[in-house]
Amino acid sequence: MAFLELAGLRKNYGAFQAVKGIDLAVEKGQLVCLLGPSGCGKTTTLRLIAGFVPANGGEIRVGGKVVSSEHSTVPPEGRNMSMIFQSYALWPHMTVFQNVAYGLKLRKLPADEVRRRVDEILASTRLSALAERYPGELSGGQQQRVSLARALVIKPEILLLDEPLSNLDANLREEMRFEIRRLHDEFRYTTVYVTHDQSEAMTTADLIVVMNDGLIEQAGSPEDIYARPETEFVARFIGGTNILKGRRGDGQTVLRDDGLALVCRSGTVAPDGQTAVSVRHHDIVLSKDRPGDSGSNAAAGTVVRQIYLGSHRDYLVSLKDGETVRALAPVDFAVPAGQEVWMRFPPERCRALSR
Amino acid sequence: MAVITDTTLNDDRRRKGVDLSWPTFGFLAALLGVLVILPLFWLIWYSFRTSGRRPEFTLQNYVSLVTDPAMLRSYALAIGMALAVGILSCLIATPMAWLVARTDLPGKRWIRMLVTASFVTPPFLGAIAYEIIAAPNSGLVNIIYRSALGLSADSYLVNIYSFPGLVFAIACFTFPFVFTLVANALDRVPSDLEDASSILGGGAMTTLRKVTIPMVLPAMLAGTLIAILQALTMFGSPAIIALPAGFHVITTKIWSLFQFPPKPGLAAAAAIPLLLITIVLLRAQKAILGRRGYTVLGGKSGTPRITELGRWKWAAIAFVGVILSLTIILPYLALVKTAFTGTIGDAISFDTLTLRHWKFVLFEFSATQLALRNTFVLGVMTATIVTAVALVVSYLVTRKSLPGARYLGVLATAPVAIPGIVLGVALFLSYANPMFQLYGTIWILLIAFMTIELPAGYQQMSSAFQGVHPELEEAGRILGASRLKTLWDITAPLLRTSVVAAWCFVFVGTIRELSATILLTTANTKLVSVIIYDLNESGDLGAICVLGIILLAISFAVVFVANRLPVLGGSQMNARG
Amino acid sequence: MWFKTITAAALGMAFGALPALAEAPAPYQVTPELEAAARQEGKVVFYTATDVAVAEKLAGLFREKYPEIQVQVERAGSERVFQRIGQEYTSGIYNADVIETSDAVHFQYFKREGWLEPMVPQVVADSWPAEEKDPDGNFAAYRAHLSVMAYRTDLLPEADAPKTWTDLLDPKYKGKMVKAHPGYSGTVMTATFVLSQTLGWDWFEKLGQQNVMQVQSSTEPPKKLAQGERALEVDGNEYNVFRLQDEGVPIKIVYPAEGTPLAVGNAAVLAEAPNKNAAKLFYAFLFSREAQQLNSDFGGLRSFHPEVKEKAGRTPLKDIKVLESDPEKLEPMIDEIKANYEKYFGT
Repeated sequence: MAFLELAGLRKNYGAFQAVKGIDLAVEKGQLVCLLGPSGCGKTTTLRLIAGFVPANGGEIRVGGKVVSSEHSTVPPEGRNMSMIFQSYALWPHMTVFQNVAYGLKLRKLPADEVRRRVDEILASTRLSALAERYPGELSGGQQQRVSLARALVIKPEILLLDEPLSNLDANLREEMRFEIRRLHDEFRYTTVYVTHDQSEAMTTADLIVVMNDGLIEQAGSPEDIYARPETEFVARFIGGTNILKGRRGDGQTVLRDDGLALVCRSGTVAPDGQTAVSVRHHDIVLSKDRPGDSGSNAAAGTVVRQIYLGSHRDYLVSLKDGETVRALAPVDFAVPAGQEVWMRFPPERCRALSR
Repeated sequence: MAVITDTTLNDDRRRKGVDLSWPTFGFLAALLGVLVILPLFWLIWYSFRTSGRRPEFTLQNYVSLVTDPAMLRSYALAIGMALAVGILSCLIATPMAWLVARTDLPGKRWIRMLVTASFVTPPFLGAIAYEIIAAPNSGLVNIIYRSALGLSADSYLVNIYSFPGLVFAIACFTFPFVFTLVANALDRVPSDLEDASSILGGGAMTTLRKVTIPMVLPAMLAGTLIAILQALTMFGSPAIIALPAGFHVITTKIWSLFQFPPKPGLAAAAAIPLLLITIVLLRAQKAILGRRGYTVLGGKSGTPRITELGRWKWAAIAFVGVILSLTIILPYLALVKTAFTGTIGDAISFDTLTLRHWKFVLFEFSATQLALRNTFVLGVMTATIVTAVALVVSYLVTRKSLPGARYLGVLATAPVAIPGIVLGVALFLSYANPMFQLYGTIWILLIAFMTIELPAGYQQMSSAFQGVHPELEEAGRILGASRLKTLWDITAPLLRTSVVAAWCFVFVGTIRELSATILLTTANTKLVSVIIYDLNESGDLGAICVLGIILLAISFAVVFVANRLPVLGGSQMNARG
Repeated sequence: MWFKTITAAALGMAFGALPALAEAPAPYQVTPELEAAARQEGKVVFYTATDVAVAEKLAGLFREKYPEIQVQVERAGSERVFQRIGQEYTSGIYNADVIETSDAVHFQYFKREGWLEPMVPQVVADSWPAEEKDPDGNFAAYRAHLSVMAYRTDLLPEADAPKTWTDLLDPKYKGKMVKAHPGYSGTVMTATFVLSQTLGWDWFEKLGQQNVMQVQSSTEPPKKLAQGERALEVDGNEYNVFRLQDEGVPIKIVYPAEGTPLAVGNAAVLAEAPNKNAAKLFYAFLFSREAQQLNSDFGGLRSFHPEVKEKAGRTPLKDIKVLESDPEKLEPMIDEIKANYEKYFGT
């Protein structure tokens, strides 16, 4: 049985359904990322797990015990979780030491024990020198680490992170991503991490849960999510991709109206009606002439624009029916706008999406 | 990895705090219901009852209300007076606010401080000071006027015992409301709006007229409405000035209905239009301040631009000087002079200096000690309880943590619509019957003061709460602190300065309250404000001035100490002034 | 049902009148036992309408005799004292031990309500005139004073001073007069009643045109004269004028030929007095020669004690034409008097 389980979890705010019934199982020690655009319900889900908001339906179980259900909600202070907030929420009237020690003092630990554990965690987060400073005197990255230390020191059963890096500048953000992963590897807390940044999710997560419109689109390892998206939404949201729509052909083939047939080596083709194929930008092969063996998976188009990006060129090509496709090509492949170009969609890179 | 092993042990130590939010909510709802709804219920109930041995249902009170010419006259006079006060306050305060906020007038900080300090002065004390200054015969100004011009004994320059005199005395107390609102608004009108007008070719006057004034108009109107409201519901000043002038306003009229034989039913009925007018005015004020345009004032575009007065500087200084002298400096000087001389007509010299009044008040007058103690104790209790209740209520409301919490906010704000004298009547009716015998105890005064001060305390606390990020509290909760524990450990310290400010505000408001108090005190529950009023009735001005000075000294001392006390977050307050 | 209970008992007049037909109780002496019991209680609360300085002085004299007993003096205008007692007794609050107001009507009312404890100090039984004490022993005349017309001799030459009540209607006094209020002062209520009978309401109507400064308590007009705020008082306590004269303020009293209203101030012990013995002791003290003499000397009050000597220079009571009023006739008129008064004077 998984350590943290969400079963049919629902939350409404009046008529608005923020979370529409989600099921999720998180193993002990796993780091799960809830990933999705703003408004997808990921933060609400996190706040449901924390106990800040009561659920309207379904259950949350921790270690088999129900902590939230339609009927009762264990308050946040009764859950032995801890959380890192978007704003860090460091208490400005307490020093770094006091901030970190607060949770331990609540647990009525003896003073020397408190000191020992705080010192330990401050050392782990490389904050020892700053123990007597006030949060207002720290840089953003330092504040973030205090926030981490404060959350970790109580040894929570579950650690929750709400967009923890969104207030940091780009360099620091990258550094902190690895820091979070490092600390997780060190302590192995069961962690739920909310973000809208897919690369953040890719770097840190054991399990990525892509959410959209109050529902889970797909849950899987970073590789699963990237390489084997199951829905159009996931394919688009994780890394850039081209979605080409068509009807089901023979076997794993999708037929577009303009005659292009795409053979897909992976994915599922919808049994009837419309279906789609995802091909990532960098997987399309461009050539000036028609590729040799092209019974399928190749089409000609007109270059709409082309941008030189140093390491490669970024093309936007329009197919005969007006559909545009984005593709990346080596720098030495230069075709000016307005000219014709051929594209090959390798079948092993085409993933059929039934929805 | 070693660290993780004791997770389970730690689990057992976890505090299983009981969540007190529902009991707290219930308690507050009951408390506010008792404070606000119960008295209003009795007020309305009694307004439909006959007085006498066998009370029964009647409409007679309302019939008398609209047919009794004396009653109608007192309403008309009160409304006329309030409007005049509003206009006068606005005329005094707006130019002053502009001078202080937007020109290079010297001593601007001092002017602001003085005006703020005048909030602390109880209006009834101000009225007595104006009696000393401007009574037609014995008033200091008139004595000087006569002797300077060698006029006969019955000529005078000013007469405080008149309708204009009353308007002036009240406006001196109410203009700071307009001043503060307008000055703050002017501080925040973004300069670039004015710059934009200048770039488009608007001259200084055009810019002022077309841009600046329209932008602060809502603040002016709102301030003026507050002034009108204050004047309409004020008891002390009219009782001191209007009665000798030979007219009643509605508050003094209601009060007179308690003289023998008392007519509580009529008093209750007479209070109800006052209540309704207050509600209408408050709604109007809210509508004006709530309008879209006003939020622009929240913009943050650098320092407001400063107009150089140039050769007008001296005229401006004279204007401000005259206003401040009339409203603040002269009354205080009059109080001090009267406290130290035999009778008010005496010239000041070493011969006339005396400590007689001090001796009388401090050692001979047996009510002094009790009244000082009651006043102080009630002030501290009210301030503490109101601040605490306001803290919790505004927490529940701003954090929307419970459904229905916002109704607590509505209840906490509602008393703002209940004029002091109306509350006095209502509380008397509620607690001076055999069912609830609180009349005659200090508790009825505590209830009155709590009800009166709750809206102010609540408003201050809820705006303070909006400045504290909810995640700071959530961080406390998720680490294992209960709601109340979080409120105590995290929120309260962060709100410390606001809490201290609210506390002081309530304390000062309490110790100068008279209009509800006058109907609710008894021998054992005398307050300084009431003995001042009693002494005024028997004409002991010297003793009044001594008590007034003591009262003011206590107010300032308490405010000072509260702001300096290290546990209360001392030095952070200094900038607030 | 409980609504009925509350409202029935609500205010002023809610208690059913108790028949008070008992004979006056036997007179009592101040015995060492009484003194000891009073000392035990240590406190007496005195609700009074006498000028605060006089009342405090009296309390001081009592404290000199009995330092162990605190006297708490609660001074307010007669009507305020009455209002307070009414509110307190109907609410079941018993703070006051001894009560004293200058409005004789009040004591009729208190007696009817059964709020007074009948008791007669020996000296009252022996020396007080029969018409100045309650036949049932509920109260007795503690003091009397006149409500007098008076003026500042430095502001108003003697030749210009009024001699009669009707003189006050002369336009030359316009804006110069000060007057207390019958709604607030029992003395003035009594005076207004007798003057309205003697002079008629049209006299008041005309006086109302004279731009009279209106104050509340009857202690206040003399003080307005002392401040020089007005030159002439229409009414006001004689004793306050005496005291100001003693202090050297140039004030002179006028006793008009039509007569001067007399207000009798009764005192009584309350039935529910919290300090019964101290109350009894203090009550006897109020009528003692030394207390009455102090009232006369310091307070300028008139006394019914035969041994009290009036200060030289004061007009003895017997030489003044006095207008006395009957409290029983006054009581039903109170509302009408107040309404008329407001019509003519604005408040």
